[in-house]
Amino acid sequence: MKHPDLTHSSAAPSPSRRAFLRGIPVLTAAIAAPAPALAASAGHHWAMLVDVRRCIGCQACTVSCMQENAVPEGSFRTVVSTYSVALEGERQPAGTYVLPRLCNHCDNPPCVPVCPVGATFKRADGVVLVNSERCVGCAYCVQACPYDARFINHDTNKADKCTFCAHRVDAGLLPACVETCVGGARVFGDLNDPDSELRRRLDAAAGQVKVLKPAQNTDPQVFYIGLDERFAGKVDGQATLWKPRAAHP
Amino acid sequence: MSTAIVETINVTREIAWLPWAVSYFFLIGLSCGAFLLSLPGVLLQRPGWEAISRLALLAALVCGLTAPVALLADLHQPGRFWHFYAYFTPSSWMSWGAFFIPVYLGGLLVYAWLAFRPLLAEHGRSGGRLARLAALLACGGLESRRALIGAAALAFAGAALVALYTGAELMVVRARPLWHTPLLPVQLAITALAGAVGLTLLLKRLAGDADASATARLARTLVATQCAALAVGALWLLLGLGGLSAVHAEALAEVAPSANWQLAALWAAGATVATLLLAWKRPASGVLIGLLALHSAWMMRWSIFIGGQEVPKTGAGYYSYQLPLGPEGLMGIVGTAGLWVFVFILLTTVLPLDRLATRTRSSH
Ligand code: SF4
Ligand code: SF4
Repeated sequence: MKHPDLTHSSAAPSPSRRAFLRGIPVLTAAIAAPAPALAASAGHHWAMLVDVRRCIGCQACTVSCMQENAVPEGSFRTVVSTYSVALEGERQPAGTYVLPRLCNHCDNPPCVPVCPVGATFKRADGVVLVNSERCVGCAYCVQACPYDARFINHDTNKADKCTFCAHRVDAGLLPACVETCVGGARVFGDLNDPDSELRRRLDAAAGQVKVLKPAQNTDPQVFYIGLDERFAGKVDGQATLWKPRAAHP
Repeated sequence: MSTAIVETINVTREIAWLPWAVSYFFLIGLSCGAFLLSLPGVLLQRPGWEAISRLALLAALVCGLTAPVALLADLHQPGRFWHFYAYFTPSSWMSWGAFFIPVYLGGLLVYAWLAFRPLLAEHGRSGGRLARLAALLACGGLESRRALIGAAALAFAGAALVALYTGAELMVVRARPLWHTPLLPVQLAITALAGAVGLTLLLKRLAGDADASATARLARTLVATQCAALAVGALWLLLGLGGLSAVHAEALAEVAPSANWQLAALWAAGATVATLLLAWKRPASGVLIGLLALHSAWMMRWSIFIGGQEVPKTGAGYYSYQLPLGPEGLMGIVGTAGLWVFVFILLTTVLPLDRLATRTRSSH
């Protein structure tokens, strides 16, 4: 059941999660148009839809990404941020909110213009990549990304981040995280293909689709359904105590 | 901070601009500031500034020669520094910086050489340590005012460009509200000048120069820079508190809840006021105000760079940075300081400090 039909989604979340989702009504104002209009060219425009309602927070995506891309221990190209949220007027005191995060492959990516050697670039098909032959490891792009999506890879000493698994996509495969997503929360596809599942799901959810930090005008190409406003920017809450680098020096 | 939300799993991003970057911004700032202080005495020949300006020029040289090493070390691929020149990217301030630094340092080296030629020749004749090298460097020791003006103009343009790019490089980073303010380049420039005054005061004491009027002159400059620093700081706070500027309000909201930040802000304000009062009321306390000004310049950069990177862009709370002891942390800072001392000793062997500090240049 990799991409279950949304109409049957009542089978997915556990009772407690459903209770929690009732506690956090999904705000639906946000961005009007879910995605850029069909491009004039016939080329692909890769994008991802994350249906937060379907994510079970299992981190299968996190692990498969590390395996697929040889991400060093303690670093992450994708992670499912997990929050414990106090509930009011519910039988249980708190619920869990999960938010898969990755590079947004922004259409207006602030990481690109700052790169002093032109190593970070956006492909015509929308994927933002780092040319590791050219990267000098100055980390300016790490500073400029508003989503903390980038890091310096300690094995390569170069900038690193999610590539949408471009090596797999170019070979006709899905990104590893999408392939392994247990809840079917991650949908990857071509925005320019009107028949793609991505396009259909985005169109079906029009008005409910949001992006992270829209005020930054980065034009993210990772879209969310079920994104609670309190998690769309810098989260106001108590910080996690687990420090990956301290655990794996 | 909201207690309704507790983050249980998330990424902790490490600091990507290391203390090397703080060292670089500190040293290049001091160099540009000290270069400015060299102008009244060396170029404009204003009476009372001769010794100050020669010592400041020495400071500009030592800091300017050390700074690029720290910058290079901050790259995770230092061996690829030539990529900056092979792949110029005009949209990036850092890319421009790679071209501005050589303009400044080239101008500064020629300017310093032209300014110090007579002194080098003098040292060469005196037969002290490395006298032959000094004589060689002096190339006859002639003074050429026109060349000096030209080199100073080049170095001045370079210094202005370096100040511009270092400030703009941070200011354009919208993802970090603390950096994304037009006041930041101004604050960097003011504290750099104050730090340069501080360093010149220290060199003056080291040279055994007891000229009280020159110390008072530097103290007055410090009063001016600290007043300016406080005014800009107050403006930043006002813009944030008054909600006049969204950027400043966002920056303030991001750091205000942090106890570390409250302490850093109080510390910075306190040190600036203390320097101001001492420089104003007791202008003779040269070494103390010098050290205080240098300390403020360093702390300001440390809080902006390291503190700024401790603010997660999406996660809750703050990342906590602990200075590692290795080259990526403490050893890097100590190593840069060691290099500074080495360059200083090298330069003051061919250009003895007491010779620089003599009030009027002895004729030859
Ligand atoms: S999420 Fe960050 S790294 Fe990815 S394209 Fe946008 S700015 Fe660049
Ligand atoms: S770390 Fe690499 S990709 Fe990022 S800005 Fe520097 S050179 Fe460009």
